[in-house]
Amino acid sequence: MAREVSESCMDSLLTEIVSSYCNVLYVSKPELAARRIEAIGYQVGHQLSERYTMERPRFSDHLEAIKFICKDFWSELFKKQIDNLKTNHRGTFVLQDDKFAWVSRMSSTENSGSTQEPGIGNKAAEASSMHLYFPCGIIRGALSNLGISCAVSADISNLPSCSFVIRIKV
Amino acid sequence: MQFFGSSEISPSPPVPTASGNNAHMMYVFNRNGVCLLYREWNRPLRTLDSNQDHKLMFGLLFSLKSLTAKMDPSSSVEKGNLGVPQLPGQGCSFHSFRTNTYKLSFMESPSGIKIILVTHPKASDLRESLKYIYNLYVEYVVKNPLYTPGTPIKSELFNTTLDQYVRGLG
Amino acid sequence: MAPAVPRSGDAIFANVERVNAELFTLTYGAIVRQLLTDLEEVEEVNKQLDQMGYNIGIRLIDEFLAKSNVTRCVDFRETAEVIAKVGFKMFLGVTASVTNWDNEGTCCSLILEDNPLVDFVELPDNCQGLYYCNILSGVVRGALEMVSMKTEITWIRDMLRGDDAFELQVKLLKQVPEEYPYKDDE
Repeated sequence: MAREVSESCMDSLLTEIVSSYCNVLYVSKPELAARRIEAIGYQVGHQLSERYTMERPRFSDHLEAIKFICKDFWSELFKKQIDNLKTNHRGTFVLQDDKFAWVSRMSSTENSGSTQEPGIGNKAAEASSMHLYFPCGIIRGALSNLGISCAVSADISNLPSCSFVIRIKV
Repeated sequence: MQFFGSSEISPSPPVPTASGNNAHMMYVFNRNGVCLLYREWNRPLRTLDSNQDHKLMFGLLFSLKSLTAKMDPSSSVEKGNLGVPQLPGQGCSFHSFRTNTYKLSFMESPSGIKIILVTHPKASDLRESLKYIYNLYVEYVVKNPLYTPGTPIKSELFNTTLDQYVRGLG
Repeated sequence: MAPAVPRSGDAIFANVERVNAELFTLTYGAIVRQLLTDLEEVEEVNKQLDQMGYNIGIRLIDEFLAKSNVTRCVDFRETAEVIAKVGFKMFLGVTASVTNWDNEGTCCSLILEDNPLVDFVELPDNCQGLYYCNILSGVVRGALEMVSMKTEITWIRDMLRGDDAFELQVKLLKQVPEEYPYKDDE
């Protein structure tokens, strides 16, 4: 059986990537921090996709490649598949994971009550969105290894569900 | 309510011995005396402001621990003078006391996390329950990527889960 | 009676949620590579990895204590053993051994022969002076500090530098008792 480590090891690394880049290395430069975090994810996605497709024939079209990400690739990483895939047939795909492991323990640290200082809500939103650059980078890296260049964004307005939007560049 | 799917919290929750809400309030302190959490379910009489209240509770435990260790008839270990600081987990440790109107149950982890639950005086031995609450703290607070260690706990997910669990305690 | 100190982390590791180690290893590798690009100085990268480890250690300690049921960490010798046998196993799935105790019982070595952090890793030549696994020493230092033990941790052997194992020397500097945190007149 393939080697495993505790989920906490991986979760801890992710928490620390975000905290190092946002609170230590690029304080007050969230765009730069975001780009670095995404870049780390990109490297990982690229390497993993290389490993997982070594003995496979090339994918015939974009949809086949996206399906590979939803099924095999996602299963290797999260032991489950993407729950829902949608496409507009013009290069945009929406991948929804109903219980995405890396945000499932995220709980807003603030209520949205009126007594809160203004701005705190935004800060919390910014903090949680920082955690999405890594998985977005992974998807972009994995597809880039399959010869598809794209932009990836994510939405967690409905925790613990997470939707990734992939826009393929033509 | 199941947020973590197959993720298990060990030990499994002790079976509540009676129904109804017997808990008055709960405190969680860290090793620096910071009150991470104060939760109140039933406290008709309160005379202190919350800051003083937390300090008084922390001071009570601090002194009691020191006194109980000093009075330990069984230990042959050098006990030092009363009031001399101890290491968490050093010497004997008390786990509850009871007055005619309430019972206070206490646990302290070797990392200095202190959990205090104040209940009806007839409440049963709550040591396993406090351990379970410590596990909840690990799963919902420590593992929340948005939580900064040492800061007050504001996680709704934790509070909801805790309330639900405590409500079932005997 | 307090439960005996667990001697192995096998059962706990079997019960925790686990992930593909490849993902973990590659992620760590990508972090190191990105830090080398962003910080340029190898010494700065070592420091940052140690700091990340420390931050992880102060969080992981509570999961370790909660799941292992360890109720006291007062004796350094016992604590070192339990970290090597139970702590490493429970998180990384591998066991470390404890050796090279000094006479006072305040300094020992943790030896790791199998280390998932370095699977498929080869250090390029421009990484002279890099302690690739420095995050580990930070984790141990952070975790021990939370149980009142201030330590100094040094790499003695490193397989990525051609040694036959990873050896972390852990030196206990002092045990910090709990102080009453408030001033009397407050």
